[in-house]
Amino acid sequence: MTNISRRDFIKVGTAGILTTVLTGCQNPRHWVTLEPYVIPPEEQLAGVATWYATTCRQCPAGCGIIVRVMNGRALKIEGNPQHPLNKGKLCARGQAGLQILYNPDRLPGPVQQTKRGSGRFQPVSWEDGLNTLYARLQQAGNSTAIWTGSTTSGHLLDLFGRFAAAIGAPSPLVFDLCSELNGLATLENASQAFFGKNRLPTYDLDQADVVLSFGADFLGPWLSQVRYGTAFGAFRSQPLGKRGYLVQLEPRMSTTGAKADRWLPVSPGTEALVAQALVRIMADGPLGPAERLTEANTLASEIDVSSVAAASGIPVTELEQVARIFATATRPLAIPGNALAAQDGQGTAIAAVHALNTIAGADGLALSPDSPATWLLKPQVSPFSDVQALIERMQAGDIQLLLIHGANPVYELPESAGFVDALAHVPFVVSFSPIADETSAQADLVLPDRTYLESWGYNVTSPGFDLPVVGSQQPVVTPVFDARSTGDVLLTVARGIPAAATALPWRDEVAFLKETIPQLGPGAAGGSDSDVLWSRFLQHGGWWSATTPSPVHPTAVLSQPVQAETPQFQGNEQEYPYFLHLYMSDFMSDGRGANQPWLQGAPDPMTTVAWQTWVEMHPRTAQQLGVKDGDVVRIASPAGEIEAPVYIYPAIRPDTVAIPIGQGHTDYGRYARKRGSNPMDLVGATDEGLAWAAMRVRITPTGKKTAQAGFESKIGVTEGFINEAFPR
Amino acid sequence: MHASRNRSRALATIIGIPLAATAMVAAYFFISWQVRAAPEQPAPMDHAAMTEKGVSCLFCHSDALKSPAAGIPSLEKCMGCHQVVKTDSPEIEEVAAYWHRQEPIPWVRVNQLPRFVYFTHRVHVNAGLNCERCHGDVAHMQSAEPVTKMNMGWCLDCHEQQPDAEQLRDCVICHQ
Repeated sequence: MTNISRRDFIKVGTAGILTTVLTGCQNPRHWVTLEPYVIPPEEQLAGVATWYATTCRQCPAGCGIIVRVMNGRALKIEGNPQHPLNKGKLCARGQAGLQILYNPDRLPGPVQQTKRGSGRFQPVSWEDGLNTLYARLQQAGNSTAIWTGSTTSGHLLDLFGRFAAAIGAPSPLVFDLCSELNGLATLENASQAFFGKNRLPTYDLDQADVVLSFGADFLGPWLSQVRYGTAFGAFRSQPLGKRGYLVQLEPRMSTTGAKADRWLPVSPGTEALVAQALVRIMADGPLGPAERLTEANTLASEIDVSSVAAASGIPVTELEQVARIFATATRPLAIPGNALAAQDGQGTAIAAVHALNTIAGADGLALSPDSPATWLLKPQVSPFSDVQALIERMQAGDIQLLLIHGANPVYELPESAGFVDALAHVPFVVSFSPIADETSAQADLVLPDRTYLESWGYNVTSPGFDLPVVGSQQPVVTPVFDARSTGDVLLTVARGIPAAATALPWRDEVAFLKETIPQLGPGAAGGSDSDVLWSRFLQHGGWWSATTPSPVHPTAVLSQPVQAETPQFQGNEQEYPYFLHLYMSDFMSDGRGANQPWLQGAPDPMTTVAWQTWVEMHPRTAQQLGVKDGDVVRIASPAGEIEAPVYIYPAIRPDTVAIPIGQGHTDYGRYARKRGSNPMDLVGATDEGLAWAAMRVRITPTGKKTAQAGFESKIGVTEGFINEAFPR
Repeated sequence: MHASRNRSRALATIIGIPLAATAMVAAYFFISWQVRAAPEQPAPMDHAAMTEKGVSCLFCHSDALKSPAAGIPSLEKCMGCHQVVKTDSPEIEEVAAYWHRQEPIPWVRVNQLPRFVYFTHRVHVNAGLNCERCHGDVAHMQSAEPVTKMNMGWCLDCHEQQPDAEQLRDCVICHQ
């Protein structure tokens, strides 16, 4: 240690204090600037806030929001108390929407680049940008492809659809990682067998007394966390002090699992087998009332309960207890989770869970009633096979022009899907992203759309729950940057293409909306002529019917046993000893939240880690691998590999490791770039879809170590931890 | 040796402490003087010249009668007159330049209350208070200056003199 004399210490100390004081004196100002309007809106008062109702677009659910606007600036987002979906509640992602609007990395205007991926964007004028798009559309004709996402506004999907039909191109693809991880397409398809309709069912959680959730993280980012959060409150505090009982089956404890009465760490992929075993136990029991028993006998397959217990890791006694609780409940409900949609035989797995609902009487399962406006129906999310078909066409050189709106496939699809390679065969790519994301970086031209707080539109809420709901979207502030609404861009270029001009005769998107929306007629808000209906639509944050129609219950139920398959995983057990469990981060969602520092800084509910990617590992697994918290490991699957620090997590199966999705961006603004790693790189694509819940991995320590940004001390949690659920 | 060292240390303490105290007091006054001085504004705004011509405060700060904030006039309001009035003055040209760029002037706030104070102009102006009562003689200032130190004692001094002082003394009147 260096010797610092007392004298030197006083000298340096005094110099330090003086410097601090003098710099303080130099700039004693704490003045605030006030920017008044250049041209104020009429009736605007200084210091009085205006609240605008609109719809949140951070996830496909579409909660109603109200935004506090002061002097033309959006200051705060709250839930819309009138909106039937969220009833005034809002999640953290909804609150963070302001950071999309005022994001410092938004594109200030249209840009183009001569070499894809160079990142050297040249600003162009809107006129040039529109002319380029027009010329390319003319050139490409029907070899144009349109790719949209699950949060693209309904009116824009409608306009894109009309445009594609007019030029003879295939109808737009609706696919993003969020819809894939939610299992939307698969869950919708599974409804066909039950309801005869291809639509997302609703689960009446608030009416049920026992819920068996097969990995459905409904209090996390699955479907609508706000709506199901409210329903969960009702489920837990029912009339006469009754409390609903939740059983959660999942390999890694999620936010929902943490709230469950019984958490069963089921081996990944064996959920359908467990569902079948439960039916078998009910039939053999015999358990439950007579009519349930009859159904159970019809639906019970020839399955050996003890071999299911061995495969799933859930003891027979435990299975019997769960079967008894379910069979004897007044109104039990089984919910198939999103992981079931990402395994082989996805339809069968969901049907196996619905067999339990069939036994229960299928009361808890419903479809929201039809909207009276069929022309506003929410477009179907495309299955992954459609994505693969498009990638093949791109690869074959059949696509001359690709338009991408509301999706970020370069980030969202794993390398094994082959999207990036196929993109090289597309001569011209146009992105409409307001911020330069990974896909814009590979585009030739970016025509930034306005963010959802500056845009017009509507959103058919799905699942609509007990009411048909159409949420309204209106600008709450004047556009912050020189961005143009993609609807208007499309209508402008369509004017020059004769076929499209006839199909899209509207002056702008507002004219289109004003024509379509009032056709809904008077809803709960009332009104008669079309101007009043339009104003009420905007004022109340949407349209919903005044009376509650009776819900649509299943028309067809299962009549024979479901034959579930044994799970298939990519990678053999010897080479890749661990199951990979990927889950959507509560805040990053599928990665779209990563550009908002509020969401980055929000600690994960289960681990309290923020701003990072981590890999959750059972204490015993960590011990076997010789790694501790913060040790960086390499995770390799047959499809790819990533590196991430270990987080020792007792609530996970020792044969499974879990990684949150959402980080690992190479672009997408300063808060997202070069942070963590993207576990989608580990996922392989199969003919049935992205196998994000059917991968095996190998783990090797790298010897590196990194600090973890977590809130909690783990002393006493994982040190010396012995989990009785996993006896040696 | 030892004794002389002790003596010099005592001397340093006797001189040093009052010196440091004086320096701190001087720094405090220097800083508070700087704080109270008129902030530098992005464009010239001669309040005295305006009032001399008979323009009342409420003509520009028109929200004071009906809103919590008096408001700063929009550029459109400035140009409403100055498209014809005094267009040749270099000061007005500066303002007009902002108008041509359609850019708001980033005025610097002169009086600021802490966030936990719920103050509203509407009530005070409608109770018959003149602007000068709180803001000083702005009519004779060029750039507006923060002449009053708007702290709680100063608010209460006036509230105490009112006929309904009993109510105006209540904490929640200002700290909701």
